[in-house]
Amino acid sequence: MEALLSLLIGVMTACGVYMLLRGRTFPVVLGLTLLSYAVNVFLFAMGRLTIGRPPVIDEAVSQYADPLPQALVLTAIVISFGMTAFVIVLALKARAELGNDHVDGERE
Amino acid sequence: MNHLVIAPILLPLVAGIVLLLLRRTPLPFQRGLSLIALLAQVGVALHLLQSVLEGPLRVYALGNWQAPFGIVLVADPLAAWMVLITALLALFALLYALRGGDQAGRHFHVLFQLQLFGLQGAFLTGDLFNLFVFFEILLLASYGLLLHGSGPRRSRAGLHFVVLNLAGSSLFLFAVGTLYGTFGTLNMADLAVHISRASADQQSLARLAGLLLFGVFALKAAVVPLHLWLPAAYAAATAPVAALFVIMTKVGAYGILRLDVLLYGDGALSDLLDAWLLPLALLTLGLGTLGVMASTELRRQIAWLVVISVGTLLTAFALGGVNGIAAGLYYLPHTTFAGAAFFLLADSLARRRGEHDDHFVPHARLADRRLLGGLFFIVAILVAGLPPLSGFIGKFLILRAALDTPDATAWVLAIVLGGSLLTIVALARSGSLILYRSHPAEHGTATGQLWPELLPATGLILLCLGLMIAAGPIDGITRLIAEQLMQPEIYIQAVLGGTGR
Amino acid sequence: MSLLGLVLTIFVGSVLAAGIARLGRLHSAWLSGVVVIVALFQLWPMIAPVADGAIIIQRLGWMPAIGLDLVFRLDGLGLLFALLILGIGLLIILYARYYLSERDCMGRFYAYLLLFMGAMLGIVLSENIIQLLIFWELTSLSSFLLISYWQERSDARSGARMALAVTGAGGLAMLGGFVLLGEIVGSYELSVILQSGHIIRDHPQHLTVLILILLGAFTKSAQFPFHFWLPNAMSAPTPVSAYLHSATMVKAGVFLLARFFPALSQTPEWSWLVGGAGLATLLVGAIFALFKHDLKGLLAYSTISHLGLITLLFGIGTPLAAVAGVFHIINHAIFKASLFMAAGIIDHETGSRDMRQLNGMWKYMPHTALLAMVAAGAMAGVPLLNGFLSKEMFFAEAVSASTHLQLGWWLPALVTLSGVFAFAYSFRFIHDVFFNGEPLELPKTPHEPPRWMKVPVEMLVALCLLVGILPTLTVEPLLRIAAQGVLQTPLPHFDLAIWHGFSPALWMSIIALVGGGLIYSVRHPLFRFHDRVLLPYLQASKVFDFVLGTLFALARTVTGLIDIGSLQRMLAWFVAAALVLGIAGFVSGGAPLRGTADSLPLDGVSLVAALVLIAAAIGTVVLHRRRLISLTVMGAVGLIVALIFIKFSAPDLALTQLSVEIVTIVLLLLALYYLPQQQAPESAWLRRGRDLVLAVTAGGGAGLLSWAVLTRPLDSISDYFLANSVSGGGGTNVVNVILVDFRGFDTLGEITVLALAALGIYAMLERVELTGPDVDRYGRPWNPDVHPAIMASLTRVLLPLALLVSLFILLRGHNLPGGGFIAGLVTAVALITQYLANGSRWTRSRLPANMHPVIALGLLLATLTGLGSWLFGYPFLTSTFTHVHWPVVGDFELASAMLFDLGVYLTVVGATLLILIFIGLLHSNDDSASRPQEEAH
Repeated sequence: MEALLSLLIGVMTACGVYMLLRGRTFPVVLGLTLLSYAVNVFLFAMGRLTIGRPPVIDEAVSQYADPLPQALVLTAIVISFGMTAFVIVLALKARAELGNDHVDGERE
Repeated sequence: MNHLVIAPILLPLVAGIVLLLLRRTPLPFQRGLSLIALLAQVGVALHLLQSVLEGPLRVYALGNWQAPFGIVLVADPLAAWMVLITALLALFALLYALRGGDQAGRHFHVLFQLQLFGLQGAFLTGDLFNLFVFFEILLLASYGLLLHGSGPRRSRAGLHFVVLNLAGSSLFLFAVGTLYGTFGTLNMADLAVHISRASADQQSLARLAGLLLFGVFALKAAVVPLHLWLPAAYAAATAPVAALFVIMTKVGAYGILRLDVLLYGDGALSDLLDAWLLPLALLTLGLGTLGVMASTELRRQIAWLVVISVGTLLTAFALGGVNGIAAGLYYLPHTTFAGAAFFLLADSLARRRGEHDDHFVPHARLADRRLLGGLFFIVAILVAGLPPLSGFIGKFLILRAALDTPDATAWVLAIVLGGSLLTIVALARSGSLILYRSHPAEHGTATGQLWPELLPATGLILLCLGLMIAAGPIDGITRLIAEQLMQPEIYIQAVLGGTGR
Repeated sequence: MSLLGLVLTIFVGSVLAAGIARLGRLHSAWLSGVVVIVALFQLWPMIAPVADGAIIIQRLGWMPAIGLDLVFRLDGLGLLFALLILGIGLLIILYARYYLSERDCMGRFYAYLLLFMGAMLGIVLSENIIQLLIFWELTSLSSFLLISYWQERSDARSGARMALAVTGAGGLAMLGGFVLLGEIVGSYELSVILQSGHIIRDHPQHLTVLILILLGAFTKSAQFPFHFWLPNAMSAPTPVSAYLHSATMVKAGVFLLARFFPALSQTPEWSWLVGGAGLATLLVGAIFALFKHDLKGLLAYSTISHLGLITLLFGIGTPLAAVAGVFHIINHAIFKASLFMAAGIIDHETGSRDMRQLNGMWKYMPHTALLAMVAAGAMAGVPLLNGFLSKEMFFAEAVSASTHLQLGWWLPALVTLSGVFAFAYSFRFIHDVFFNGEPLELPKTPHEPPRWMKVPVEMLVALCLLVGILPTLTVEPLLRIAAQGVLQTPLPHFDLAIWHGFSPALWMSIIALVGGGLIYSVRHPLFRFHDRVLLPYLQASKVFDFVLGTLFALARTVTGLIDIGSLQRMLAWFVAAALVLGIAGFVSGGAPLRGTADSLPLDGVSLVAALVLIAAAIGTVVLHRRRLISLTVMGAVGLIVALIFIKFSAPDLALTQLSVEIVTIVLLLLALYYLPQQQAPESAWLRRGRDLVLAVTAGGGAGLLSWAVLTRPLDSISDYFLANSVSGGGGTNVVNVILVDFRGFDTLGEITVLALAALGIYAMLERVELTGPDVDRYGRPWNPDVHPAIMASLTRVLLPLALLVSLFILLRGHNLPGGGFIAGLVTAVALITQYLANGSRWTRSRLPANMHPVIALGLLLATLTGLGSWLFGYPFLTSTFTHVHWPVVGDFELASAMLFDLGVYLTVVGATLLILIFIGLLHSNDDSASRPQEEAH
């Protein structure tokens, strides 16, 4: 299972990085989103994988999943949401002012 | 319960929120509020520095949860030093903005205060993930400020700055995650303990995480080859924002210093950056100098000067030891204030040259060229590090520190001194181009309204003069800070109260 | 009296001179004169003790920790130079008052002049060599200001820049030398250094130090090959040339040689470097001086030559030679200053400095002519004038040196040759200017200058005569004191008699005299030869310009290659850097990739889900040019990520991920409306290949990294949270308790980020007019505002329900999955659906578009909750909770953290809506007018 998850993280990172390196703003935004998926899963996995034991205290249960990474990822998700929103709008602004959607605003 | 430690963080936060609530109130009121908040912050910062220099360093357990479980703020002399420098810089940047720069777009004061919230938090926090959060705050605020007002150049530079930093944030999280996944903690002091005791099996991951963190901070600090975002971004920002941004590269340098002397200060991994920092720092210095010589606009040239200052600063840190770090910590405020003053001065110059802006092309002779030229001359001496001003003292201290590492001495001497020379040559050239190679036709504004406009820049220059005159005491302070840094156990003791878990 | 006070007097005077100029044109001149006289009075009482061999040292603490104090030293050498600087400075001030024209700003001139004078005094009175260097560079900077005094003249600016570059460079090299020297000797103070000659000479770095320090001295005193800046500095006002380029600044270089004579001389390296440079300079200067048609040019090259002479004397290194050097420093200062002033007078009264125009001045200004001729005689070394004495000593030293070093005949021969040319150019100066027929088309008709303009010249010329005729009565005492200060040892025997019998030196003088006459008589063919053959090749300044030009070109090329402002390149560098660092880090650790912990078993469902995710992720990339599809496919990735969170027991994350996913997709859809729906392939294959390699490596790295971590055991701090969540945080949902309590500060920061994003977007979109397409890619017209009725009515019914749900999620969050974020996002989504279903106009009529207060209140609430704990004497964000019994709801828990969570909720709702509404509003063109205008001010 660990290996599979690592594979997924790897794939998402690879796709994210490739999109990040494109020349147009929209793919770059998608790339950033993919990358943030990868990072979030990675950060989450750093607490190791636990199945079926959510960290909600219950007398019956003794073992729980590591809650801390979950909290961190939750923070990370919201932060990356804010960032994504910002960069999307920035892409729109750039297009409006540079006349095209190339990341360097090259003339077409 | 003494809340002095958190005051520099909460002041700008509350100020920002209140300014947001009162955004419909008359402008003078908002400006006054912003200014008062900053003055208060300077006062608090002074008090904080004094208290940690005299007494022990202060730890503030947020939510009353003890480290390493809760988030703690740690005011050690280094953090307090950075907080004070930031507050002073921000004060003069704001003073300049009050002359109208804050009207270029909406929410200037809110963004400005929240940027300070991010900066001061980054300096004071003792928790790695919390550091990440504060980085995001100061970045997002800086995006907002950078894009203040509009224009294609600004949008393009902004887009590059934002996307690159988002990639940087992802890397930060990879590094933090790896550290947590390896050592199961986020508190810096606690991490330092674990890293110093890392088992052979953990060392690979620890090194990897450490170098990734170095990469993140190097991006913020604009270390070659991750410096390419800086010139365009700083050149595109409005003057007060550019002035404030001068501190942002220093945040990266601060991170590198903490990484080097605290997180990886002890044990088998303390050699983490040895192979990387000095060569990259000198390379940054060299390429920055070339950039200064190649520039065809004043703002861009100043941006390259910021790159040089990062190279110089990191050279000092890389030389290490009490001498090296103390030299760097003396050079840091000098280069921050001088660079900011230069940005403000450049704005005054550019706005008088109409369509020629800050390009190095002849323009009708300015009525105020004497006064502006005089200030330009002084600032040029400052940034080039020529005697007798503070820049020289900083560089002299660095050269002395270089003697402690014999195999690097020659390189450091050659590159630092050569950089100074080429910088002053380039600045003499651009100064005479922009001020004196002109059509005889006199025009420009009367000197009367010039002085108030130049006051913030003059204030920053005076701070540098203060650094020169009080070089003795200040050198004493920076040495004290450096000595503390060289003994991470003091920091760790204060935070964990014991030897950690 | 204090030496610091002496220097400060001058600096303060400089400031006053600048200020007082407002009151009247001449005030600054008089003030400067007074300042210098005051300084002389301060110096007066110290002369006697120094004459008795005392060394006055005064210390003022500055940076004692690193041995950098302000320490001043007055010994014989310093005294001599102080007198020269102040004395000649006084004459220059008087002279300049008449020289400067109505248009020139007096205040600035005298301010700069005094600034320079102060720096110069600082050099000669410094005990600490770093302090000496500070003043040294200060002279470079102030001379830059003086040379470029006529800022509107480009030759003035370029000359000043060249002088600054050359002397500044020398100064920085010298700094390096001093730093090393201080390390070798263990002190920066002269009294130590001058005693440590043997330590320095035996040190392995001796040669480095010597060269670095000599670079400083040579550039300053215009020694070959650094001599070229001096002639170019002649574009300065003549008083400046007379002061800086004869008496003082260039003398700072030879002062340095004299100062370090005891510590650095007496080695073959010293003799060859210093002597060689001196000899070369002596000849180059003497020969080129003859060919300059410009009066000041001739004097400049003669100055170079005389500086070479002095340098050569110090290079010879015998005590007697050093004495001769000091003696010539004095003499040269006197006659050269007077010559420059005379040249200035001629320039001033005729409007020309070209010796091909200036002829027969004897008729027009006999008095000036007489003075100039005497001074020129001294320069040539005519008997009964001061120049003769030191020149004789110089010849004698050259002879004795060559005999006891077995150099053979060539040194005396070359020295004599220089003497020949010295006579020649001095002849030319006298004959061409004052005789040689009538002046040719001069701008003005020449006449004598104002009376007081000549006084300084008269005084100096009188000195030339006095020293030349009665050396023992006039100059000898001062010379002995000064030489004492140089050698730091008992003086050798010497006498300053005019007649030493028919010594070799005398014969050399005679040869020089005769030969000089001959050379002068055949000057015209020589000029032609010079203009045709020498001039094109022998111009050091050309070399300098070339070097500097090349450097700037190089800088432009390199920077242009690296800094092309391409985001893709920046990102590629960043990814590559991260990979290099990461790999290097892991490899250097030397641990195996796979750890020892055992892993969970694989199950089919997960495998399928994984395959879907992989397919979706790759699909997003492959289809990225068909944007709408690519976006949809990416949504699938997000959903499966949410599934991953559920699978591995993170319900909160799953909920958050889902709601964020929806909002993000909506956002991207809105954005896509303004962006091209698709794009043509543009990246070249090579670029795509590079990116592919980077991407695959990065992915592999990330995957391997997580695998390496996941296969290792973890011992984390989390047990603490599990243990204290209920007892300390009052909540059973540990994740939420961490968010609002254990790590509430993170959360506060993170809602600030969200708020900043909203405000930033709001500020950013000011004055931005986005125009979407009118037709979609199939040519069908976009309908601005059509909404399916069923969906509309449905959403309107659902809204209250959704809001109720979100409230429920918010309240239960502390104990069960949920909390402020998720609740906020659900609310936002619910409201967004109103927009999507009913259109912005309908919705905004019912919902305020202005979300700022909501954001602000949310942040305020969260912060105040944190501050609340101060009242009870606890740190920021300390939480408390209690259980209350509500009639209907039953036992209900109330935690301060929930207030905090409410703040989170409000901020999230406010920020999300502000962003979405704002972008949504941008497109409906009819709304562009009715956009929130409340930021009017």
